[in-house]
Amino acid sequence: MAPHSPGTDQIDTLLVIGFIAAAIVVVVINVALLYAVRRYRSERGAEPRQISGGRGIQFRVAGVLTLFAAVVFVLGIVFTDKARETPATGDAGLASLKSAPLEIEATGQQWLWRYTYPNGAFSYYKLVVPVDTEVKLKLVSTDVVHTWNVPDLAGKYDAVPGKVNDVVFRANDEGSFEGASATLSGQAYASMRTEIEVVSPDEYEAFVEKQKNEIEEAQERVVGLIENGEVP
Amino acid sequence: MSESPRPELIVDGFPRKRAHWIELATSGDHKDIGRILVSGALGFLFIAVIELLLMRLQLAIPENKFLSPVGFNRMLSLYGGTGIFFFALPLAIGLAYYVAPLQVGARGTALPRLGQTGLGLWVAGAVVLYSGFMWTPTEAGVNPFAPLTETAFLSNNGVDAWATSVGLATLGFVLISIDLLTTLRNMRAPGMAWRRVPIFAWGATVGSWLMLFIGAVFLAALTMLMIDRNYDGIFFADGSGGAPLLWQHFSWIFFSGTYMLVLIFAFGAIAEIVTAFSGKPLFNRSAVMISLAAIAVIGTLAWMQNMYTAPIGIGWKYFAMLMSLALIVPVGLVVFNLIATLVGGVLRMRAPLLFAVGALSLISIGLAAEIQQSLVAAAWDIKNTTDATAATHFTLIGGAVFGGLAALHYWFPKMTGRTMGETLGRISFWTLVVGVLVTFVPLAFAGYDEGQVIDAYKFFAGSGVDAYNLIASIGAFVLFAGIVISLVNAIQSRVSGPEAGHDPWGGDTLEWFTLSPPEPHNFDVLVDVRSPRPMRDIREAIAHRTASAELPVRESEPVA
Repeated sequence: MAPHSPGTDQIDTLLVIGFIAAAIVVVVINVALLYAVRRYRSERGAEPRQISGGRGIQFRVAGVLTLFAAVVFVLGIVFTDKARETPATGDAGLASLKSAPLEIEATGQQWLWRYTYPNGAFSYYKLVVPVDTEVKLKLVSTDVVHTWNVPDLAGKYDAVPGKVNDVVFRANDEGSFEGASATLSGQAYASMRTEIEVVSPDEYEAFVEKQKNEIEEAQERVVGLIENGEVP
Repeated sequence: MSESPRPELIVDGFPRKRAHWIELATSGDHKDIGRILVSGALGFLFIAVIELLLMRLQLAIPENKFLSPVGFNRMLSLYGGTGIFFFALPLAIGLAYYVAPLQVGARGTALPRLGQTGLGLWVAGAVVLYSGFMWTPTEAGVNPFAPLTETAFLSNNGVDAWATSVGLATLGFVLISIDLLTTLRNMRAPGMAWRRVPIFAWGATVGSWLMLFIGAVFLAALTMLMIDRNYDGIFFADGSGGAPLLWQHFSWIFFSGTYMLVLIFAFGAIAEIVTAFSGKPLFNRSAVMISLAAIAVIGTLAWMQNMYTAPIGIGWKYFAMLMSLALIVPVGLVVFNLIATLVGGVLRMRAPLLFAVGALSLISIGLAAEIQQSLVAAAWDIKNTTDATAATHFTLIGGAVFGGLAALHYWFPKMTGRTMGETLGRISFWTLVVGVLVTFVPLAFAGYDEGQVIDAYKFFAGSGVDAYNLIASIGAFVLFAGIVISLVNAIQSRVSGPEAGHDPWGGDTLEWFTLSPPEPHNFDVLVDVRSPRPMRDIREAIAHRTASAELPVRESEPVA
């Protein structure tokens, strides 16, 4: 993952914290194990020491472990909260939005993502959003559980039928970011990918306008064909 | 009826012995049932690793066409079902059902027919899963989420076969757990208070309680799924009041509990081995006992750790994170006390101890990776990536394969009267260590660095994970070789291994007091238990009483 949004910056930091915590655990346990196994390998004449520990040492060890767990827990909460706070639309973002985020509906269906923009236009597979703008994806599903996942811009979230799950993010940079669904959803699950193209606000507005017009044209053309009797 | 006087004692003679396999199949003896479960579990280990190998072959190169998408999903579902319900759980429960009653000095189990029924249900489950393989196996995944499992999306009988199969197996485990629990509560030898119960038997007690709770939850969920699929139910279907998330809650309670159950049994077996092979008492027994119970409770309460991406309130996610991280304390205490037991001991580095130390090492890696997975925002990135696959596999291979093989090497002499080959054991150990590391370390990196998603039948060229996947697939072959070597070792040793004495390791617990293999009634004499190490007390008493009392007991090297 290469973070390109304020939220994923925090996620990245927390990942590093988690990695350090995990590394500490792995190193401490394995060094202790290796030391014990090498140092106390049986020798002639050696007698095992019949000691069985006491309360004092248990409480000390438990205290250290509790402290470690508590520190990791607090850091987990702090950075998760930071990751959930997406800053409002910035200066380079979509000017027409003052405080409210740009709401886009993301519908998971076997095996495609459909994005519906505020003006009624929609697109499949590819989502176009303006840079530096607070975007709120409303994840829904028409069939089974899908996990929306574009790691460079936001965390993973599930689209569960009958529920709405919000994903809020703000892209720092223009560019194209890919993602793959992350919950087994049937045969073509591996191909259920998506792409987010982050563009300037002007390009975004041009895109949704063009998309809307093209959809309307296509609709009129279909109606026309049927009325002219060119398709049965 | 005639009024003729009847003799007070009628001797009909002993019932005729039937063929060996009939005796075994109809036996209510916990040792026979345990042996069947353990051998069956080892057979399924072989099948599971073949399924893993086939999936890794498909994922060796990008956009491979070795398996079809549906074929891969079926393999995946079978692998999960086999690994959990027909390898890890029956191995743990089978070993416990064999050993724990012996350890507490019981002459049998309290409700043998329950255990026998349990075994029958488990066998039926295995038959259903693999006969389903011949027509339409399930393709819904390891933990098949509703509503993918609803008939609207998977209309063939695969999911029904899966639900029936794992349901039968789970019901079997529950019945065996009831018998085990009743036995361990009521039939301990005189003087064996809970504080003197061998730690593996204590693990079996905790694990059986856990199975009663999670088994009930899972059976309910499976029943609801079957009603949904076959009787127009709407429990997990969206709309008209159904809730797909309900399935996730129920199933994750079960699978988190199962994870803990495997850990608890592994820790119990490792504790027995570590004490026997260091010649020391378990460091701080009471803390280990309390910790094992705490792992069962806290670990299962962390079930929503698997649902960080689901639409549930953030408070629930923080609760799950709290429980997951709280688990550091009891698990840390157990690991600390196990290592502290090694310290100051005189370690005989035989295969059981080797596997036990390897198990601890792998479990530490897996659970450390789970710390990272437990941090809510971090999990938003690495959940459902191959990093999570790797974490789960490190813990479960550490617990069930390494812990299971450690326990098998340790109790094999008791179960068969023969010792498992040491050389093959060592070769298998190092092959398995290399196999696990080469398979799952690259997968962890593929998930952590590149976000490769789980359960996908293919990955695309240019996504930066080609090398990781190729190395992992090579590692799977090494893993396969290691498991085959251990299974060959077990079969060969069963037939022609060196004969073991009744107490080959100089163990401290009562199973070493009886014959190898034990008679159907387990013990001719029951001992008075005065400490957590009754066998050591017996050896010391004998040494004390013999004329040559100046000879220290420890001088007598084990037979094998």
